[in-house]
Amino acid sequence: MSESLLIPIAAPLVAAFVALLCFTLRARVSSVVLGWVLSLAPLGAFVLLLSWVPRVSSEEKIVYALNWMPSLGLRIVFMLDGLSALFALLVSGIGALIVVYAGYYFQEAKNEKSKAKSGAPPVTHARFFIFLLLFMTAMLALVLAGDVVTLFIFWEGTSITSFFLIAYKYKDETARRGAFKSLFFTGGGGIALLAGLILISVVAGATDFESILKSGDALRAHAFYPVMLALVALGAFTKSAQFPAHTWLPDAMSAPTPASAYLHSATMVKAGVFLMARLFPVLGGTELWFWLLTSFGLATMLVGALLGLRQNDLKALLAYSTISQLGALIALIGTNIEESFKALAIGVVAHAFYKGALFLVVGIVDHATGSRDLRKLGNLRAAMPATFVIATIAGLSMAGLPPLFGFLAKETLLAAAVDLHSSLFIRVLFPIVGVVVGALMLVQAGMLVIETFLDKTTFAANTTREIACADDLHAHEASVGFLLAPAILSALSVLFALVPMPYLAEFITSAAKAAFGEKVKVSLALWTGFNLPLLLSAIAIASGAAILWFRHRLFPRTASQNITAHPSLLEAPFTAALGALDKGGWLATRLQDGTIRRYLLVMLSFAGAMLVGFDALRLPQPRWNFDLPNIELRVFALALSVGAALASVTLKRLLHAILALGASGLAMAMLIALEPSPDVALVQIIVDILTTVVLVMALSKLPRSWIEDIRSPISEKKSRPRSGRQKPNTQYPIPNVEWRNLIASIIAGAVMFVICLNALSTRPRESIVTPYYEANSKPLTGANDIVGAIVVDFRGFDTMIEITVFSMAGLAVVTLLVHAARKHGDFTNTAGTDRKETTSDPLVSTGIGGLRTSPFIHALAYALLPLALMIGFIHMAYGHDQPGDGFTAGVIIALTIGFWTIVFGYADVRRRLPWVKPNYLIGAGLLTVLTGSIIPIFFGQSFFSPMDFGKMLNLPLPKGFYISTSFMFEMAICFAVLGSASYILDALRLPGEVYTEEE
Amino acid sequence: MDVITSLAIAAMFGIGVFQLLRRNVVRSALAFVILSNAINLFLLSVGAYDGLIYAYAKATGQRSDALPLALILTAIVISMGAFAFVLAMLRILAARYKINDLDKLNGLKN
Repeated sequence: MSESLLIPIAAPLVAAFVALLCFTLRARVSSVVLGWVLSLAPLGAFVLLLSWVPRVSSEEKIVYALNWMPSLGLRIVFMLDGLSALFALLVSGIGALIVVYAGYYFQEAKNEKSKAKSGAPPVTHARFFIFLLLFMTAMLALVLAGDVVTLFIFWEGTSITSFFLIAYKYKDETARRGAFKSLFFTGGGGIALLAGLILISVVAGATDFESILKSGDALRAHAFYPVMLALVALGAFTKSAQFPAHTWLPDAMSAPTPASAYLHSATMVKAGVFLMARLFPVLGGTELWFWLLTSFGLATMLVGALLGLRQNDLKALLAYSTISQLGALIALIGTNIEESFKALAIGVVAHAFYKGALFLVVGIVDHATGSRDLRKLGNLRAAMPATFVIATIAGLSMAGLPPLFGFLAKETLLAAAVDLHSSLFIRVLFPIVGVVVGALMLVQAGMLVIETFLDKTTFAANTTREIACADDLHAHEASVGFLLAPAILSALSVLFALVPMPYLAEFITSAAKAAFGEKVKVSLALWTGFNLPLLLSAIAIASGAAILWFRHRLFPRTASQNITAHPSLLEAPFTAALGALDKGGWLATRLQDGTIRRYLLVMLSFAGAMLVGFDALRLPQPRWNFDLPNIELRVFALALSVGAALASVTLKRLLHAILALGASGLAMAMLIALEPSPDVALVQIIVDILTTVVLVMALSKLPRSWIEDIRSPISEKKSRPRSGRQKPNTQYPIPNVEWRNLIASIIAGAVMFVICLNALSTRPRESIVTPYYEANSKPLTGANDIVGAIVVDFRGFDTMIEITVFSMAGLAVVTLLVHAARKHGDFTNTAGTDRKETTSDPLVSTGIGGLRTSPFIHALAYALLPLALMIGFIHMAYGHDQPGDGFTAGVIIALTIGFWTIVFGYADVRRRLPWVKPNYLIGAGLLTVLTGSIIPIFFGQSFFSPMDFGKMLNLPLPKGFYISTSFMFEMAICFAVLGSASYILDALRLPGEVYTEEE
Repeated sequence: MDVITSLAIAAMFGIGVFQLLRRNVVRSALAFVILSNAINLFLLSVGAYDGLIYAYAKATGQRSDALPLALILTAIVISMGAFAFVLAMLRILAARYKINDLDKLNGLKN
């Protein structure tokens, strides 16, 4: 049963994938059809949630828990109680309506566009649906979250998806800025919330809400209680756009209207309200809680209501009234009385209905007329009668007039406001603010309806510049489907108020109780007799009507007024924060001026300064141990390694330098072999050869001036490109070296010396990890070779990533040198100067650079390949028992094939060895390692655990050879490395010529 | 021996840094190999103890420390892949931008 709680959350996610499929396949589905189809998912979630309502109403909790990371005690928990059911029903129900509406919305947008430019390609706006449905998933999971970790993850999920929805029209700068601002506020608040939630769960000793809700007393008594509350409130207030963080909400109106209606009025902005209501039994009930929430809530109520009056843009007006309503809800949670939670539950529902409907109507008007500026609109009633009716009903509900659900919401709000039994100040202030805001809401709703649909003599009549009326704006009534969503929402505003529904009251009771913690009595009767709230309501309505009547005199609209203007004072903290970031950016650009060498110097100096600053550099007393075996060989190898490295710096010809580098690598291999570790030494030798070969191949075709470093590295003066006097003399200025670099590298070497000596003089020391590997490699993995066991078994995951990286390197080299280079035409002009390796005669094969190679070399190549394959196979097969591994095998085979391409030419090798298809080899390798690591799961073992299939089937295998997951792993490494190494060798040798046929 | 090893690693590291800071982009690229050698050498020599025989399960006696060896094995492979990519970028640099002076290469800015 409890697993089915996942269905409502997963349904929109599945729909999002359907939308993604439409997007990637560029399916030619009209957005209307797409909207109807996709709306099935939230509709299904809604119906399923509805079927649980009777159980929730009888105060049953449905909890589903999934162990996520048991070792960290992390779980994903979902919980359905009255409060979460209320929000989840709103999210899924309104979500279904919005998805249908969005289909028509974008259809209309397309029509408009095709009017302007006929023949435009069909766009399905699947991208919008993807983000919207992802948001819906996150929002549903957020309200159904049963523990703080789950809650936080999906809290952030809503912030991120909201960012993408606001920035949907990303080519518009205001959309981008609005999206950034919303993420700046909600994301910043999210970090505070995370800290607060961590504190709560540490003090409560649990992360799930069921335990946390029981430990309210301990939390409130804790010394950190104010910190917890402040952090959580910061998260909730920024999310729910409380003053002074409210400024992001009006700017977020650059989102497409369906998203604004859904996210920024009905659901996401209520997440903060939801969180505070959820945590009320834990953190609420204190003086601090009361003052924090009521003061911010009341301030937000007033600010939103007052600023909303000044707006010309319909969406901005609705945004400010939403802010005001959110403030009311927060203020209600702040008061600690039963009546408030009744008002909260009713208010959330009523606001979602009327505000959702009004937003959707604004979208329709915007489409019909191409404007949502109150100064341009007017007299649309005749042209759009159905829209007018819907808007009027929703507007009346917003105004708080009977007999609509909004009236009930306002009544209960006022009832809660007069019922307070706390300090006198709030007891007086709350009702006053309630009446003022109630009046202003009426004014805003009236303005919206009258100035859009009725008034002919609006601002436009006073100016000669902008004459606007319905005919001018080409208004037309919207289609039935387009009107469906706002119509249903408006109808619900009437229905909920007029039709007595006992089960609805019962459900809202359970929601209020879940938040309040104790029993709440809820009746949904409109008429409660003559009492103080009714009187206050009458005052609010009367004064609101008066203000509405005289509004042109009280606050005249001006042409210069910015549509989304808000006082710059409130913007100041945001701008200041961005300014500080810019200042930080100035420092960064000073230090990192685009010169790569400067970056290096800064980074190295900083690392050195850190070491000195933390007093990490102390010279230890060194050991003078010269009793090691082969001491003279070791010293020789070290000297060779250093000397060859030095030679590679000072040698002027690049080829010599490369050879010196190879010698240095071989000296390294000698040291490793003396460790003793023949296994690693072999790999080092092979890689050193491969590196040298690749270097010679890649660098032989560079321009001459690049290859020859004529001047000595030290004697050069620093060139100053800025001073005009000393201009670089050639096209390729000859590289030089500054003394500064010499000093930097000497310091780097010195620091390294101290670190190294410290590390070395503590030896021999106790090792914790290695003895475990030594003791367990044979019993656990069946491997004698401990290094091999670590690589393939103990750290198998690491190695899987390693070969993935190596494969990606090969793919990246090909992408850069073949595909990207062809796009830019990098190698087209040089191809003519080189002798082509392919000839028209298929019988004559030419080697590197078009040279004819001798039959002796041919015979050698023929003999080498089977030998290499055999050596490779032995390495793979016995790698677990003897030194050697799949990597060595892969590189050996790749080098042999590289030799073939030198002898026979690239095209000929492709013909002779058709199985060398690097992309397939890489794919096969990565697939094999995945398969091999997954197989043990089917035998009841864990991912990557070793299994010996040969032993399981009692196959007669030679000693030391196992058919096991390790063998599969070695094969996989070999395949992937062979593919990637072939890519690297071919692409670096003949860029722009190879692998062009693969597409 | 510790002092000699430390000196050698420090010298290789210094040489690598010096090479890395040079203006010639080809030479600078070569520094990758020197530096990864220096770092591998460091890993190798800071194993917990001096081994006398290869890390082999059946062997008796002081085995060499298998953990740094396994790490080096991984590091060698990864640095080879990364170096191949560096070389690919070098070729593109030569073919498309024709700049071999690192000071003139400021495409990262803006």
